[in-house]
Amino acid sequence: MIEKIRKHFNELFADAPKTRKAMEMKEEMIQNSTEKYQDLLGEGYSEEDAYENVIGSIGDVTELFEDLEEKNLLNLSEKDRKKKAVLTSAAVGMYIFAGCVFFLCQMLDGVWRTRWDFSTLALVLAAICCIPPTCMLVYASNMYPDYKKKEEENMVEQYKESKHTSNREKAIKGSVSTIIWTLVIVLYFLISFASSAWYITWVIFLIGGCVQAVFELLYSLKRGD
Amino acid sequence: MSITSDILRGHTDAIILAHLLEQDSYGYQINKDIMKKTDNKYELKEATLYSAFKRLEQAGCIRTYWGDETVGARRRYYAVTEEGRKAYQIYKREWEEAKAMIDQLIK
Repeated sequence: MIEKIRKHFNELFADAPKTRKAMEMKEEMIQNSTEKYQDLLGEGYSEEDAYENVIGSIGDVTELFEDLEEKNLLNLSEKDRKKKAVLTSAAVGMYIFAGCVFFLCQMLDGVWRTRWDFSTLALVLAAICCIPPTCMLVYASNMYPDYKKKEEENMVEQYKESKHTSNREKAIKGSVSTIIWTLVIVLYFLISFASSAWYITWVIFLIGGCVQAVFELLYSLKRGD
Repeated sequence: MSITSDILRGHTDAIILAHLLEQDSYGYQINKDIMKKTDNKYELKEATLYSAFKRLEQAGCIRTYWGDETVGARRRYYAVTEEGRKAYQIYKREWEEAKAMIDQLIK
């Protein structure tokens, strides 16, 4: 019969959030009900009557669940999502602008022969134009809020948290590779124009790849600690 | 009877506080004592009791601790805090006022 009481509570709590607090509350109520059941038996109730009495005095448990729910903190709020979208698209726009500046200066260099070295100027201007969008992308990818740990720890929470950490990891990795590759491109053009050694400067891209691989290795080693 | 149980339900928090002021207690014991005090006329539903516990705990009126039972499962005890004492005094005063007023109005 006590198993039956436990089973009844398990059914009642089937929809309850799977938090430690909810589980503790269930256990406590089972304990109370079992104790009451045994007292009733002692008073001369039949097993069946005692069971009915105990089940009848549980009441409506759904009101207990409301505050035990936990909000999903993982998703960005609507406002943050919008902000992120604006930042990302503005950044892309600025990269395109940087490209335009570069080609424009190159063209000017072709048609307008002066003592100014337009090709170098083009490069410097383009590189400067790349700085703000890079910063914006880095900022946007770090916008995931810090996961606030609630009192109730449980499997779901831990899963959510680990998922969150991996999201952050991805964000950090994404930012770093954006920075690395922007630098690589800038360096490639700078060195190439400066040295005119176009036949060999493409090696910079290979070096960039190595740098990224090294960074990822170091990062995962650090995580492993 | 339905008016009686409605009124009683509206004062669950105060009833529990008053009871815990006498001594720290646990879920079933509180309910058992309430039944005893009311000559088996009133018994709190488990859900009512626990939603009151939850409310009181959130308001800082009660705190809980684990008992040190040597036999059987460990019990979670409930005790009144200083905050709870104040809340009880306010409850009591308000109840006295309401009672006097209702007595005046429906005598």
